[in-house]
Amino acid sequence: MSWLPCGVYHENYKQDHRWWQTKFVWGKMIFLFLFVYVLFPRFAGLYWIGVANIIGYTVLSALGVQLLIGYCGQITLGHAAFIAVGAYVCALSILMFHLPYVVSMIIAAFIAGLWSVLFGLPSAKVKGFYLIMTTMAAQFITVDFILTQYVSRIGGRGVAFSLPPGTIKIGPWVIDNDVEIYYLMVILVTLCTLALANLLRSRVGRAWIAIRDNDIAAEALGVNIVKYKLLAFFVAGVFGGVAGAFWVCNLAALSPEHFMWSWSLWLVGVILIGGVGSIHGVFFGSMFMVLVLEALKFAIAPLAPTFPQLQMKFLFLKEAAFGLAICLFLLYEPNGMAYRWWQIKNYFNLWPFSY
Amino acid sequence: MELFITTLVTGVMVGSIYALVALGWCLIYKCSGVLNLAMGELTLIGAYVCLSFYNWGVPFILALIFTMIIGIILGFLTERIFLRKLIGEPILTVIMVTVGLSFFFRGIVEFIWGTDTRVFSPPVFPLKPIVVGPVVIGQVYLWSFVAAIILLVAFVSFFKYTRWGLSMQACADDEMAALSLGVSAKFVYAMAWAIAFMAAGVGGTLLGNINGLNISVGYLGLLVLPAVVLGGLNSVPGAIVGGIIIGVLQNLSGAYLDQYFPGGVKEIAPFAFMVIILLFLPYGLWGWERIERV
Repeated sequence: MSWLPCGVYHENYKQDHRWWQTKFVWGKMIFLFLFVYVLFPRFAGLYWIGVANIIGYTVLSALGVQLLIGYCGQITLGHAAFIAVGAYVCALSILMFHLPYVVSMIIAAFIAGLWSVLFGLPSAKVKGFYLIMTTMAAQFITVDFILTQYVSRIGGRGVAFSLPPGTIKIGPWVIDNDVEIYYLMVILVTLCTLALANLLRSRVGRAWIAIRDNDIAAEALGVNIVKYKLLAFFVAGVFGGVAGAFWVCNLAALSPEHFMWSWSLWLVGVILIGGVGSIHGVFFGSMFMVLVLEALKFAIAPLAPTFPQLQMKFLFLKEAAFGLAICLFLLYEPNGMAYRWWQIKNYFNLWPFSY
Repeated sequence: MELFITTLVTGVMVGSIYALVALGWCLIYKCSGVLNLAMGELTLIGAYVCLSFYNWGVPFILALIFTMIIGIILGFLTERIFLRKLIGEPILTVIMVTVGLSFFFRGIVEFIWGTDTRVFSPPVFPLKPIVVGPVVIGQVYLWSFVAAIILLVAFVSFFKYTRWGLSMQACADDEMAALSLGVSAKFVYAMAWAIAFMAAGVGGTLLGNINGLNISVGYLGLLVLPAVVLGGLNSVPGAIVGGIIIGVLQNLSGAYLDQYFPGGVKEIAPFAFMVIILLFLPYGLWGWERIERV
């Protein structure tokens, strides 16, 4: 709740910075956790759990993009490259070095972060459109060249990168079906969101926001902008790496086609629809994109007998619908769904005297 | 040496097509400040429209003219429906609208024409290559070069000598002054998009003639981005020179670097060059250096 009810006063900074300040918010969050950890996996069918996994993957991937674009102002159109690096490093370290899954996920996140810093280096010198170009180059160089031509041929041509079932386990907990993946996803999403939200209310986060608002002014105020920009790239790469390492367990075989440029653009679209500069926005955007496209599938199903074309070419329809959704959102709701959510909340906060 | 000359000549010829598409891109940027990432899809649309006309039995030249007319209509529509409301919005918004448009256009192209490679049948240009001394050139390349040069000259003289072209120049130079002198900015933006659609359509058709037409032609259309970055974003001569240089670099790296880095070095080289250019020459060859104040 953005406004506190009457009669709640803060006496020190610690209280002022608390996340959940009222009983109502506590109740809401406890209900949310209960729903996500207990009720949903127990009562939802396997289909909806699969959909939830895709939403979770989108959230994990989009967190890094939100950090770069929404909080640090560095527009990136190549985030799928860092997710791909995370996925490949994780798979390689499991397959070749037989490391446990958690260790390889940490290594993957770290290497993806370093890879992201490498392509973030030009951000010290250029910004805006030119930075977009370098991140695009990162995408093409990493995925279309290095991964496609070299990395995916490790172990010989035609050998797919696939982890044998049962390899992905944390201690005794074997992750091999959708429900287990769901639990892993929920834990990772919770941890990453906590990490990002905490970073943003620290010195680092304030520096990022200063850079976003005006980098020259930030530099004049003593923020080391090169350091903080590269740090933003590193953290975003780490989130990407975690997302990639997570997605390994949902893929039968790893291939560069899962990390094409369109996935990078998709992620930027997700945060735009959700709302730039808002962690809520990542969740709203991911849910909107995944659920609306699922709904589109259901909407088309009754038309299928009369127009078989629609179902056969559903993939392309989905692409066009996504493009149109981005355009319409930017034209008619440029602040995203998070802003609408905020407005609705405030309306009910002040109801019935909203003036 | 022969390999070098052949590669160079082919590179210049392919580069002239890139130059044509880059000209359209640069025009939109100069006139309305929109950084257009949908250029690849504009080439796709033009190429597929032309292919449909041609395969229905319309003569090639006529098909090309029809494509240009449809390009003008689509350009006006796109500008009117999507871009006009975005004047003065932040850069990310504008870029993402063009990204949204690129998804939209690509989805529609794939929905209508499918993803299989299509060819112009019967071939538009004779298949027999032309031999000049040691150099062997496919006729497709030669005629594409000629067509691209004709169009480039036509566009450039349009800007220089016609009233509309002059109003576009005025608008690109100083929008406020142009508006106060009675130039209609809306018309100029619409013209810029129409010309971009036309140029991209012709470029896409020519590229589709070389290797057959499929979705990857849209990727070739993306090569205008390295070209305009090399030339400097707001310079029309820069776009033309940049396009040709990128074509040459691409072909040379395909011929010489491929033995060291087997695989797709040809597709990736322009982007790698672009990163290097950005590190050392961030405003390209003739771009305006922007001075920022807080």
